[in-house]
Amino acid sequence: MLRATLKGMAARKARLILTSLAVVLGSAFIASALVLTASIRATVADLSGDAYRGADVLVQPLEPENRGDRLVRDGVTAETLAAIESSEDVAEVSTTVSWMVNALGEDGKIVGGFAPTLSVNWGDASVERELREGRAPETDREVAVSAQFVTESGLGLGDTVTAYALDTDETAYEIVGVYGYSGGRDSLSGATELAFTTPEAQRLVFGGEDAYTAVAVTAASGVSADDLLASLEPAVGDEAQAITRQAYVDDLNAESAEATKLIGYFLLGFGLIAVFVSVFLIANTFSIVIAGRLKEIAMMRAIGAGRGQITRSVLAEAGLLGAVASVVGAGIGVAAGAGLTSVVANGFLDTASTSVAIPWTAPLAAVAVGVGVTVLSALVPAVRASKTPPVEAMRAAAKADKPILGVTVTGLLVTLLGATGIVLGLNETFDGDNMNLMSAAVGAGVVFVGVALLTAWLSKPVVALLGAVWSWSFAGRLGRLNAARNPRRTAVTAAALMIGVTLVTATATLLTSVKESLAAQFESSIQAELFITGPVTSSVPATFDPELMDDVRAVDGVDTAVELYYDVAQVDGTEQSVNATTDLEGGIALFGGEVVEGTVENLAEGQTVVNESSADLLGAGLGDTVAMTFSRGTESREFTIVGILADNADTDGWYVDRSYATEFYTPKPTTALVDVADGADVEEVTADVEAVLADEPAVSVQNHEEYLAQVTVFFDYAIIAIQLLLALAMIVAVIGVVNTLVLSVLERTRELGMLRAMGMTRGQTTRMVTVESVTIALFGALLGVGTGLLLGWIVQQALAPSGIEEFAVPTALIAAYLGAAVLVGLLAAIAPAVRASKVDILGAISYE
Amino acid sequence: MSTASPVKTTAVSAEGVWKAYGTGEAQVVALRDVSVQFASGAFTAIMGPSGSGKSTLMHCLAGLDTTDRGTVHIGDTPVTGLNDKALTKLRRDKIGFIFQQFNLLPTLTAEENITLPAAIAGAKADPDWLKKIIHTLDLTDRLSHKPTELSGGQQQRVACARALATRPEVVFADEPTGNLDTRSGAEVLRFLRTSVDDFGQTIVMVTHDPGAAAYADRVVFLADGRIVEDMAEPTADKVIDKMKHFEELVAAAQEETA
Ligand SMILES: Nc1ncnc2c1ncn2[C@@H]1O[C@H](COP(=O)(O)OP(=O)(O)OP(=O)(O)O)[C@@H](O)[C@H]1O
Ligand SMILES: [Mg+2]
Repeated sequence: MLRATLKGMAARKARLILTSLAVVLGSAFIASALVLTASIRATVADLSGDAYRGADVLVQPLEPENRGDRLVRDGVTAETLAAIESSEDVAEVSTTVSWMVNALGEDGKIVGGFAPTLSVNWGDASVERELREGRAPETDREVAVSAQFVTESGLGLGDTVTAYALDTDETAYEIVGVYGYSGGRDSLSGATELAFTTPEAQRLVFGGEDAYTAVAVTAASGVSADDLLASLEPAVGDEAQAITRQAYVDDLNAESAEATKLIGYFLLGFGLIAVFVSVFLIANTFSIVIAGRLKEIAMMRAIGAGRGQITRSVLAEAGLLGAVASVVGAGIGVAAGAGLTSVVANGFLDTASTSVAIPWTAPLAAVAVGVGVTVLSALVPAVRASKTPPVEAMRAAAKADKPILGVTVTGLLVTLLGATGIVLGLNETFDGDNMNLMSAAVGAGVVFVGVALLTAWLSKPVVALLGAVWSWSFAGRLGRLNAARNPRRTAVTAAALMIGVTLVTATATLLTSVKESLAAQFESSIQAELFITGPVTSSVPATFDPELMDDVRAVDGVDTAVELYYDVAQVDGTEQSVNATTDLEGGIALFGGEVVEGTVENLAEGQTVVNESSADLLGAGLGDTVAMTFSRGTESREFTIVGILADNADTDGWYVDRSYATEFYTPKPTTALVDVADGADVEEVTADVEAVLADEPAVSVQNHEEYLAQVTVFFDYAIIAIQLLLALAMIVAVIGVVNTLVLSVLERTRELGMLRAMGMTRGQTTRMVTVESVTIALFGALLGVGTGLLLGWIVQQALAPSGIEEFAVPTALIAAYLGAAVLVGLLAAIAPAVRASKVDILGAISYE
Repeated sequence: MSTASPVKTTAVSAEGVWKAYGTGEAQVVALRDVSVQFASGAFTAIMGPSGSGKSTLMHCLAGLDTTDRGTVHIGDTPVTGLNDKALTKLRRDKIGFIFQQFNLLPTLTAEENITLPAAIAGAKADPDWLKKIIHTLDLTDRLSHKPTELSGGQQQRVACARALATRPEVVFADEPTGNLDTRSGAEVLRFLRTSVDDFGQTIVMVTHDPGAAAYADRVVFLADGRIVEDMAEPTADKVIDKMKHFEELVAAAQEETA
């Protein structure tokens, strides 16, 4: 008797723990998302706080209105500096000369990815640089480099590095020192750095002018920052601007808060998905636990307990469990968020120290969500439990499963409702983008729920189909039958996995479709075979010597070769992309552009050509005049529109004569298109063109495929990023499958004991449970892939008018998801299978 | 048609079997030096008061539980000392089971339940034999039904068919009629009798019911873990009579060990 009681308690304990696990997970995700967001913000704020530490006032150049960070500007002049230094209120001054630079690594390629490469002046006292090896640069041909640069370039002390800025030629420098930053850091926020003498830094940034990108001023004792600011006003004058360091840091923080807000939404999105998944887990666990206690509940009903009492008792249990589990989850989440902060900080921001911020909302939201979700999820099982007829207590055999017709019809309606929401949203039926977006997003969520409700109905045929695979083995057949045994349970378990797989499949499908659509447009429109360009990520745009174009044209087998100059200019006061070329007609032809009105031949000075929608934007048409100011331009110039192009992503923008390129941000060409003559060997031509460009390491010769790969590289990153989402969803789903299996195994202890008594081996038992697990997991993944493809297709169809005309299925990725599902099934089966194979035969078959 | 051989061989035998549960103060000795043989082709009932060790003896005989001392043989195969794998194989190939309830897998049809032991072994059951027992048990119309669609008596008959499907050396039944009404119980017992008489099966059945014991060729009485009586050719009356004097038997047995 004691044995039976203890056994019952142990079984119940396992059930309680498993139910809690889902709640713990959900609230942990919410708490860690909130803590991580707050901590990243705090850490970034510390990082901004590092900037110009100790200074009171900053004097910076006047930035031209509306011009991006990458555009040239005038520095704070030496006269201004002298005027500042002569002020009585000033105690100390440090000067910064810092801007983008390109450096070539050991392999001859431009160093750096998305983080910039900077040139700085070693003498700048506002940043704490710590020499690790060698010494400071003393001559103009010497350089000290950051440890991060050593890592990324493969170069080291004593090596020679080639570097150049926008307006300077490639110059070789000897690396005489390697440095880090305070706190043992290798970089500041991941950037690579080269430190030159001040005059050399000024040559790189300002073409040799004695000017600075920033002057940090420390006030004399007794002078406040605001007083200093006021007293410096006359010295700074109109040529530069001064702000207190505090205002500068506040600005930085406001900027980074904007960026971290996005990260926060992203993380919270992850958290909410986890919660959404755990709703299924919790509901399922409660259903199973209640199914196991049906007799007990029926007995209570028989002795006079009312329906409401049953419902309330289940909900009270849920509330209690939710409270305990979500407090635990909040604790784990806060700890995990704090732990992850240092991972993120060290891995991506490279900060000296991390600040962990725990907003009070984090544990509160986690507990609220945990309790709320648990009670809500337990509602359906609780109501169902209350409907248990008292005679159930006397019925010996397990009764047949409840009919699923009601659920199926509801599921169908809900799915349709969700799909309608998506379609309405994507067709912009509502006023305001937010409404449309909301409609589509909510619609997608509703489709999930709908399909999740349909899973019970779908489980029969799909599981039967999957089961055919295992039918060769008897244990496999039993496992398959077990998976089909309780369609609701299988369905809800599979739904948990489905959600993650749906999300990634839909996103991957959409991104692949976009990629394929771009590729298809590209293939059908672009005439040129070869492209000369550099990496998109270089700090200073990759350019090449235009003189070389004549040599390229002279290559045997080259029909036409057109180089392009690029600038972001002010056109009638708005920022527009402007291109210049020697052969506009050829260039347009090679890009597959189309002339709608006017002409593109022999563009003269003061004439411009533009695509339709860019012209419409300014309300300009053929023959109208617009005013342009180029990045380096000192004055505005008038242009008459002589030609209009059809809209085409590859040729959109304004075109002017090549002579204006001297006023462009990059006065040298950034791209060239090469048309290879029919019949010529493309590979041979490529090799010959490469030979011409041998001294231009920044650019390379690419064919269609390579060029496309470079243009669409961002999509690849995005696809990789969403795989993380999958990994997360998978973890939750594994727990879900484990949960269901363990509970099922507990429920079937007697059955397992009987099978073992009849001579079923441990191996067969293990196989049986594993097949059940893999079947459920695969079922979920298949549903997810199906729903994901459907959602992807709906969105692609909706975007077709905007040019996403191809629907592409990411087959390799989908195969990988299914493979991952099998893996999930195998992993989830381990514990329950071991448990099942170790069932105590005697205990299992001895009667109550 | 009787396949029972004239020279009775021993299907199951126990030699000096001891079994105790727990240790120290809480120790319960369930079997004390039990030695017993069960002849092939015979139907033996084991009776005794609750807690006397009937189930324990059966579990030890069937290789479901280990003995503390003594040896058990199924035919010529020693059961004692076998590892889990060998025991599993032994149960699969040589033993049939009928439990009091929950004998069937709810996911399988009656027919699939009957062929379950063969399927577990990866073998195919002899179709003629199957036809014969299914016919004898009057289950022909029920083969495609799931257990939930069968009455308790029908379920128990399916369990009987299953126990016999592989022609095991011995069938162990622990109160197979314990949950059935008199009529269904009688059907099951008649079948067990038939399978001994006509097919030469060996059956060892634990029961509380003197009426059920009367179907057997022999009744072994257990009390306090000991065999206290071995009755041949039992009738319900003889058994009831024996049970009336049980207290004396138990006292005598206890004196013996004291
Ligand atoms: N697993 C166990 N742990 C401890 N004691 C046990 C265990 N199994 C049986 N016993 C004890 O061993 C003795 C014999 O039990 P057994 O189940 O064999 O009796 P039984 O004759 O089958 O009784 P019943 O007619 O009630 O089924 C009893 O005293 C019982 O309490
Ligand atoms: Mg018993």
